[in-house]
Amino acid sequence: MDLLQGTLDVLILKTLSWEAMHGYAISRWIRQRTDNVLTVEDAALYQALHRLERKGLIESEWGLSENNRRAKYYQLTAAGRKQFRAEATEWRQYAEAVFKVLETASQ
Amino acid sequence: MPRIPGLRRAFRLPWVSAARVQREVDDELRFHLDMKTQELIDAGVPPHDALQQARAQFGDIEYTRRYMHRTDRGRMLQEHRAELGDELRQDIHFSLRQLARNPGFTAIALITLALGIGANTAIFSVVHGVLMRDLPYAEPTRLLRVFSTTEGYQSAVSPADFNDWSKQSKTFSALAASATSTVNLTGSGVAERFKQARVSANMFQLLGVGPTLGRAFAPGEDAESAPRVVILSDGLWRGRFGADPHMVGKHITLDGYATEVVGVAPPDMRYPEPVDMWLTSRFTARELTDAGRGARWIDVIGRLAPGVPPEQARSEMATIARRLELQDPRHNTGYGVRLVAMQDELVGTVRQPLIILLAAVGFVMLIACANVASLMLGRTAAREAELAVRTALGAGRGRLVRQLLTESICLALIGGTLGLGLALWGTRVLVALAPPDIPRLYDVRVDGPVLLFTIGATALAALLFGAIPALHASAGQLASTLREGNRGSRTRPGSARARGALVVAEMTLALMLLAGAGLLLKSFARLREVNPGFAAARVSTFTVTLSPVKYETLDQQRAFATTLLDKVRAIPGVDSAGLTFGLPLSGAGFVLSFDVIGRPAPAPNAEPAAQVRMASAGYFGAMGIPLKRGRAFGPSDRNGAPRVFVISEETAHRYFPGEDPIGRTIQFGWTRHGDRLTGEIVGVVGDVRQAKLSGDLTPHAYVPFDQWPVDELTVVMRTRADPTVTLRGARAVVESLDRDLPVYDALTLDTLVSKSLGQPRFYLLLLIVFAGLAVVLAAVGIYGVMAYTVQQRTREIGIRIALGASAERVVGMVVRRGLTLAVLGVTLGTAGAYAVTRVLHSLLYGVGERDPLTFIAVAVLLALVALLASWIPARRAARVDPLAAMRAEG
Repeated sequence: MDLLQGTLDVLILKTLSWEAMHGYAISRWIRQRTDNVLTVEDAALYQALHRLERKGLIESEWGLSENNRRAKYYQLTAAGRKQFRAEATEWRQYAEAVFKVLETASQ
Repeated sequence: MPRIPGLRRAFRLPWVSAARVQREVDDELRFHLDMKTQELIDAGVPPHDALQQARAQFGDIEYTRRYMHRTDRGRMLQEHRAELGDELRQDIHFSLRQLARNPGFTAIALITLALGIGANTAIFSVVHGVLMRDLPYAEPTRLLRVFSTTEGYQSAVSPADFNDWSKQSKTFSALAASATSTVNLTGSGVAERFKQARVSANMFQLLGVGPTLGRAFAPGEDAESAPRVVILSDGLWRGRFGADPHMVGKHITLDGYATEVVGVAPPDMRYPEPVDMWLTSRFTARELTDAGRGARWIDVIGRLAPGVPPEQARSEMATIARRLELQDPRHNTGYGVRLVAMQDELVGTVRQPLIILLAAVGFVMLIACANVASLMLGRTAAREAELAVRTALGAGRGRLVRQLLTESICLALIGGTLGLGLALWGTRVLVALAPPDIPRLYDVRVDGPVLLFTIGATALAALLFGAIPALHASAGQLASTLREGNRGSRTRPGSARARGALVVAEMTLALMLLAGAGLLLKSFARLREVNPGFAAARVSTFTVTLSPVKYETLDQQRAFATTLLDKVRAIPGVDSAGLTFGLPLSGAGFVLSFDVIGRPAPAPNAEPAAQVRMASAGYFGAMGIPLKRGRAFGPSDRNGAPRVFVISEETAHRYFPGEDPIGRTIQFGWTRHGDRLTGEIVGVVGDVRQAKLSGDLTPHAYVPFDQWPVDELTVVMRTRADPTVTLRGARAVVESLDRDLPVYDALTLDTLVSKSLGQPRFYLLLLIVFAGLAVVLAAVGIYGVMAYTVQQRTREIGIRIALGASAERVVGMVVRRGLTLAVLGVTLGTAGAYAVTRVLHSLLYGVGERDPLTFIAVAVLLALVALLASWIPARRAARVDPLAAMRAEG
């Protein structure tokens, strides 16, 4: 299933709301969480990461990975955290509304 | 994964190269692909396929790589910019805190700057308004004033010449004539005297001025026979007629004639000068022919035809003038034409003094900047420890210089703002103080170009006084300061030398200004000593002009003059009174040439000529003009009695050298009434100054008022009582004789004399203010440096005192250093003044521009001020307690 427009950003923010992660870990985490239902193309993921950093929603720094390799870690900024809360609420409301309509139609 | 929050931000490099951004993007992508490949291998994909699959699953790697790179570059730039902004904010914040922490320094620096910038802006606003602002007419640079010239002097133009020029010239698209005088407005409310200009009908079109109400004059309306029409000035229309929107078409009574108002001029129509109304020229048929060609009394302007350069007009007008010489040799022999740009002519003689004032005030500005620079140097020296610590902690030299410059700019901006406030006030004061004969004062205001000047001056100031300390701080001696310990006992030799140089520069400039002010002062004193030729004390004067309708005949004018004089003499407090036309120092009057009967006829244009004045019996006595020989006019010199003249000593001297003029008969040329005036010289009186106190004496010839009456009557009264009370009595007398006759130019002769000194007084006052400011600033400068030196050398001075140096020795030591600077400055200043006071030449009267006494006086004065300014800190040095000094520094 392809991602709806704009979904990727909020997924990344959600992912990073736990802890700082590098790109590969984020990709893996999203795949696992959605039970491979949502396929996130890596190219899109990395573009989104850099776009979000430019927007100041996340910031990055180089650190050591689990296997002792140099990796670029991303974490939420204060602005990013705020943005995530706002977008999450919006998404929830949106999804509920769509869901409600679909339920009604099936009766 | 070890991470310290915020650490990255703290150590972030200010600039990341493009190559490094690219490398990081590549590293990030490689890490991802490696991890993915490993994952696939772990899941059982053969290693040689794994990498390929990882790449395939990634998507468009190349595009993503470029996208990441571009985004990161954008982010870096953005952050870099934000960082610079942050630093600037920090610098400004820090600067303001620094300034607030040293209120004494800040106050002195700000006052100095505000005075410098304020004075400069105020003077510039005057210079801009008077000299530089475009005239409010269409294409003002195409407008030329046209004069007649003879023997190198320019004169007004005769209507006949104007008429012929207009007809013959092709290089001017139009020529227009004007003449100003006064006019009585009667009928509605009190009779009042107003300034009028009589203009040719094309004047408004030529200038490109459209009336705000009604219309301009129509062609032909300036003919003698045309109905009388008038255009009101905006001020008169509002002030006298309550801005009546239906004014056009109404009739008003001017000099007794019903005159139709056809228009109202816009407020900035001020040609030929700010007048209350414009009437049409109405030249008579006689004035326009050869018969009237000798009377030159109108002003002419021309608008160059499109594409015609002034030189072409000049040569064409010269040709026309030669033609007229041949046509009417009697009146026009030796007469040429001179063209001057209208703006230059308008500004004329005030250009040079105003530019000198601007230069003088510029000097004040330089001194102010030197002073602030010196203050800042002193403070930079005191802050060396702080600066050194900041350097040690990693602040780059550039950053430090930027910090110091920010402080300078903050100071300059605040000083500039204060200065602008000062200038707004100062400009008003200047315009109020300026003598009314400085043209275009109404165009002086603080507006866009003046604001630009202020901003420029502020920026220049910041650069001037900010650059020196900044350069100094970057000179790279800071590290050694820290190493050697800053105990306040060391003076950096560079800093002391720089401050010394600044003080010398200040003294130099101050001396030049002082020399200029001294010369003007001496010149002014000389001017005050000039004998105007009459005894001004307790003499007052007023003028009335008779309406040509009511006083149509000369006999009516004579009768009025006689009655008026009798009644004025009867006013209590009046000792004696007389009538004249053309008071001394007023510049009013006219020149006529005359022949001495019995002498061979002089060559055309080489006849004797004199300022002709009408004078009644009693005029010389009332004025206090001394009779030198013969007799003055008496009651018997009436109309019908033999014609007589009284001449001035200069006339006698110039035209009757070595002979007795009394008894000689002279004959004047053309007069206003068309007759030739012939009579005998009966007396010689002392000379009076015709237009101003300075300048050469002009020959005068007086005619009995009754034998040549005029409609403009100026009464002079020598009084015992308060002249203002007498003037009130005179107004009552005039009103009792003619209710419609306004009294004007009512003043005392003392005021008249004082008015004639208006411009010299104004320039002197300003130059004294600037020189005073310069001296005070220079004194503060030398005081500051000496005080600082004493403070820096407290320990050394303490040791000297402990070793037995007397107080006098210590004072001498400090004062000597101050005096060395002062003497150097005074010497350089004298040399500078010697070089530049030449520009004052035209402003000086009775004093050479390199007057040695003045130069010596100002040099001594400035040296004394410097002595005092260094003596105060020297006294403090002498009172240093040696023990305390050494303990504190130990």
